[in-house]
Amino acid sequence: MMYWISVVTESGIFAILALGLDMVWGWAGDFDLAFYGYLALGSYMTMVLTIGKPIPPTEYILGLTLPYPLAIAVADVLVVALAAIIGAVALRNLREIYFAVTTLGAVSALYLVVEVYTPLFDGYNGLFGLINPGQSALNLTYNGYRQVFMVIVLVILAVTYLVVQRLSKSPFGRMLRAVREDERAAAAYGRGIFFAKYRAYLFGAALAGLAGGLFAAYISAFNPSAWTPQELLVIYAAILVGGRGNPRGVIVGVFVVYIGFIELTRYLPSPASRPEFAPALRQVLIGLLIILMLRFRPAGIFPEHTGAGRVGRAPAPDPLEQSGVGASS
Amino acid sequence: MNTFLINVGIGLATASILALSAVAFTLEYAVSRIANFAHGELLTIGAYAAYSGRAFFHQSIIGAAVMAIAAGTLAGLLLNAVLIEQFRGRNVITVFIATLGASLIIQNILMIIYGAADVSYTFGQGSLHHVGPFLWTTSDIEVIVSALLIAGLLYLLLQWTKFGKAIRAVSQDRVLAQISGIPARRIVMQTWGLAGALAGFAGFALAETIGTFGPGLGFGYLLLTITACVAGGIGRPYATLGGALVVGIAVELVGDYTNSAYKLAYGFGLLVILLLLRPNGLFVGRGMVAVRA
Repeated sequence: MMYWISVVTESGIFAILALGLDMVWGWAGDFDLAFYGYLALGSYMTMVLTIGKPIPPTEYILGLTLPYPLAIAVADVLVVALAAIIGAVALRNLREIYFAVTTLGAVSALYLVVEVYTPLFDGYNGLFGLINPGQSALNLTYNGYRQVFMVIVLVILAVTYLVVQRLSKSPFGRMLRAVREDERAAAAYGRGIFFAKYRAYLFGAALAGLAGGLFAAYISAFNPSAWTPQELLVIYAAILVGGRGNPRGVIVGVFVVYIGFIELTRYLPSPASRPEFAPALRQVLIGLLIILMLRFRPAGIFPEHTGAGRVGRAPAPDPLEQSGVGASS
Repeated sequence: MNTFLINVGIGLATASILALSAVAFTLEYAVSRIANFAHGELLTIGAYAAYSGRAFFHQSIIGAAVMAIAAGTLAGLLLNAVLIEQFRGRNVITVFIATLGASLIIQNILMIIYGAADVSYTFGQGSLHHVGPFLWTTSDIEVIVSALLIAGLLYLLLQWTKFGKAIRAVSQDRVLAQISGIPARRIVMQTWGLAGALAGFAGFALAETIGTFGPGLGFGYLLLTITACVAGGIGRPYATLGGALVVGIAVELVGDYTNSAYKLAYGFGLLVILLLLRPNGLFVGRGMVAVRA
């Protein structure tokens, strides 16, 4: 029972992240690789804002004892500020692989600084100590708290879904897709390309930061081994399975992929002498899943609604094929 | 002795390896029009092949290098046949994501085979030599000399052989080349083999100069490789060599005057500046049209 609560909580947190990432990749068509950095920064900041002063030899910035929800909010503002800088550089006139490489570079630089510069978040040791924030105030047992936390995560996910679903069908959502399909045509119809993409990017980053804040309390310790940038590929695999550009599909995809893989790795042999075996095999399977989905079913289980159904025309089979316009020039 | 020139010398050694890696990336791009994110893994495969040769078959340094080249060639051919050709005609970013998936697969297979812990060669760096104003280890000299040799051979191959002519034709227009009677499919395949060989050797040289390495060796090096390609002009082999020279020396110099732990971050800073100011490469006039990515 506790096991399932843990699995559902984790999947719920990553579903929030995936909804944010899907706005950027699914709707606006920008393949971003920095998003796991936003989740990580959200986690780190939530921690340094709540766990109190560092005890030497550990060292990190701030060390405040803010209430947990306020800490998430403050952390998220910082995450959006970072995304505003990266987005301003990367989105203005870089597209496709240039955009992807730039965001990968940004997250690699962030990772390096966090790992090497210990006064920031205690380098490779990372932070710990955010254990069940508010447990005593709510007067709950450990297990009871975990159940309440799961419900909170699911409620936040539901609210996020409703907002994102509404945005998806709003003029803003349609504009982003128009920009994705043909940037020049959208610009010709008077759409501000950069600000459309930029707003989606910031909104997505805000969701990633929120997921990071929740993740901090879920695992209660955070260090660089928890967020190698390649972890983001799992989220992309989940979006591909569920259906890129379709919020409901994205959530289903995350739950299917996470629960599927967590369940699968439980039954894998895990020799004590080779602790890296099971995680490595899991990564191999995720890579395979990405390639096979792209090759044979790029639209996912729940394809994006193109709106073309209303005029009785079959929707385009592969939304990926139409995206993007070209490089900067 | 002038420290600045010594640093330039170290930069030349860095640039030599970078040049091999970048030219292989550019060749892949030129014939298949894709950015291969599993490129770093070709280097890693080369490094591990040489390691196996050394640790299990007790090869000399030459034997280890040959094994790195052979493994790289094989990996390049396989990657093209199993992945790239399957995605032919698909959107650039789709293929890009697929290669990212392939990178994840290869890294973790290597981790399963060799373990997550770093390994190292036992060749040693050799003694220090003063060459003109520069100060190099034996392995630095070996790397620089072999890179120059390979660059020379590559020039002869691209410029003076039928195969080289065919590569250039296919990279300009695959369909047109096909119509003109060039077996484009085979040329693309052979180019991937060539790129794999270059990358395999670069991986071996990189691992030897670094000393220890793990399954993430090539992936960590990819960003610098792409920076070199962008600096030169992606898809153009000779310009890429020039770009690698500039980037290699620049990164070493900046790293030496500040904290060298952030070398990768400087590489990224350089990449962003290049992308924003000279997206078509350093050696292109503003009026020229870039290769579309």
